[in-house]
Amino acid sequence: MIKKLLVSPLGWLIGILLSLGICIGALFLGSLDTHSLLNSEIGHNILWNIRLPRVLLAFVIGASLSLAGVMIQSNVRNPLADPSLIGVSAGAALGAALMIVAADFVDIQAHYYIPVAAFIGGILATIAVLKLGRNDMPGGMALLILAGIAINVVAASLIGLLTYLATDSALRHITFWSLGSLASANYFWLTLCSIALLIVCIWLPRQHRKLDAILLGQAEANTMGVDVKRLQIQSIVFVALLAALAVSACGIIGFIGLVTPHIGRMLIGASHRYLLPLSFFLGGSLLVIADGVARTIIAPAELPIGIVTALLGAPVFIWLLVREGRRLQW
Amino acid sequence: MVMSLNQLNLSRHGKKILQDISGEFAGGKIIALLGPNGAGKSTLIQAMARLLKCDGNIELQGHNIATYSSEQLAQKLAYLPQHSQLQFPLEVEEVLSLATLPFSLSKLQQRQQVKQVISDWEIEPLAHKDFRQLSGGEQQRCQIARTYLQLSNMQTEGRGCGLWLLDEPSSSLDLQHQQQLQTVCRQAAEDGHCVVIVLHDLNQAIRLADEVWLLKQGKLVAQGSAKEVMTEALIKQVFNVSARRIDDAGDHFFVFS
Repeated sequence: MIKKLLVSPLGWLIGILLSLGICIGALFLGSLDTHSLLNSEIGHNILWNIRLPRVLLAFVIGASLSLAGVMIQSNVRNPLADPSLIGVSAGAALGAALMIVAADFVDIQAHYYIPVAAFIGGILATIAVLKLGRNDMPGGMALLILAGIAINVVAASLIGLLTYLATDSALRHITFWSLGSLASANYFWLTLCSIALLIVCIWLPRQHRKLDAILLGQAEANTMGVDVKRLQIQSIVFVALLAALAVSACGIIGFIGLVTPHIGRMLIGASHRYLLPLSFFLGGSLLVIADGVARTIIAPAELPIGIVTALLGAPVFIWLLVREGRRLQW
Repeated sequence: MVMSLNQLNLSRHGKKILQDISGEFAGGKIIALLGPNGAGKSTLIQAMARLLKCDGNIELQGHNIATYSSEQLAQKLAYLPQHSQLQFPLEVEEVLSLATLPFSLSKLQQRQQVKQVISDWEIEPLAHKDFRQLSGGEQQRCQIARTYLQLSNMQTEGRGCGLWLLDEPSSSLDLQHQQQLQTVCRQAAEDGHCVVIVLHDLNQAIRLADEVWLLKQGKLVAQGSAKEVMTEALIKQVFNVSARRIDDAGDHFFVFS
């Protein structure tokens, strides 16, 4: 019953209205009262130029990371996989760290170039992982996963070196960037991330049965007419695009891509016909709520959003590990 | 002729897994692949399903198997692997519906076919259960039903007879469902399909199969009608066990000492 509702026009309407409600709630959450927000010039400025792009970007990035999580978990057939598996987050962090440290030595306005460097770093890391792990596809994703781990380790080592060389202010900048924040949200990033999400939302639903087939096994999927290798490459490219843009826009936000698909599967099962729309709305709404908590819980200061998602997501992840262990009778 | 193999060779880590395998698989026949562990039975069936690359030539319905797209191949052969690997909560009904993926069926036709196969295979109590929570035998029955549904669509859509590749399908089945599997295999052969089945039970093989391929250490030791190939001498040679074959009023079975 719930499954049929989810894919019906009524289900979509409910999802949109609920998400809209959460976004509007987040919009008016804060120290300024609603009257001031709506009836003063400064209130208008805060509402339309600061909060609105921030709330919408939170939804778009949450939905993007959630769908990226579904794609990576289905393609590697591992419910504990995360978009960072393909090295994109580590590569982006390295790119950003490099730019922050370089700004101390070269006279450049680093804050303009950090997102660009992060994006390039993320994409280059994913290309390296694909090159290293490609031979194994589609017989198994083991080599790809190991390649992802290797690139993550290399990036972490280089970031370690950069933090050693960095000045105190650069070090602080790297740390806070790594923890994630939507404070710099603007309409440029909102537009860019929305376009990427739209492209994926046009392509992904058409693959829902093929992704179901891959869950059974790569041999089964191949003999049910799925070009597994092609689908895996396409999925990884889209995961890299969504994750790289998300990291470039707001730093590293963990656990959304890992935990949201799990919550979706607990509610609705693994069939992608239902899991994809549910993950879209769930991921977007969760990040909007997390951002609301991040900017109000220690107001007027802000908690980095990566800390909020980690504090919320880590216990859920541990519980999932325990549950999987019980199911597999470890 | 559904499939022909010509000089198939496959090596892995310097070890020959398949050596000079040649033969033909005709529609309307049940062919059993027999041999001890490590003989290459599963490897051969995976090569036939184009899951492994090997040297030599495989032709499916007159064309090199490499020329088919994934979708075209799935419209001509159905493959049942030895083990199920599902780690995600899919319902049995959702697993069965994947059999219609390679074919251009409307949603209504897909639902009707799935409903029919659930009824035919008596798996109504399992239809909405999590596939992972089924027993090994139940999972195997559902997977056999899924591949049989895929095979049925091959005839329906006028694509000629299909090839049904079954890798140890009866290993987890109880006696009743082993008999059901035999009935279904015979039905598939009567419908014109070619059934290739890996078996360990010699008695099952001699009763069910029209032809038998005996494999040992990657080589084809003997190939022919089940009655001719499954002699005591060849069984001893291939399996290294002593078996007495009893022929009784047209029925054949093995007794082991």
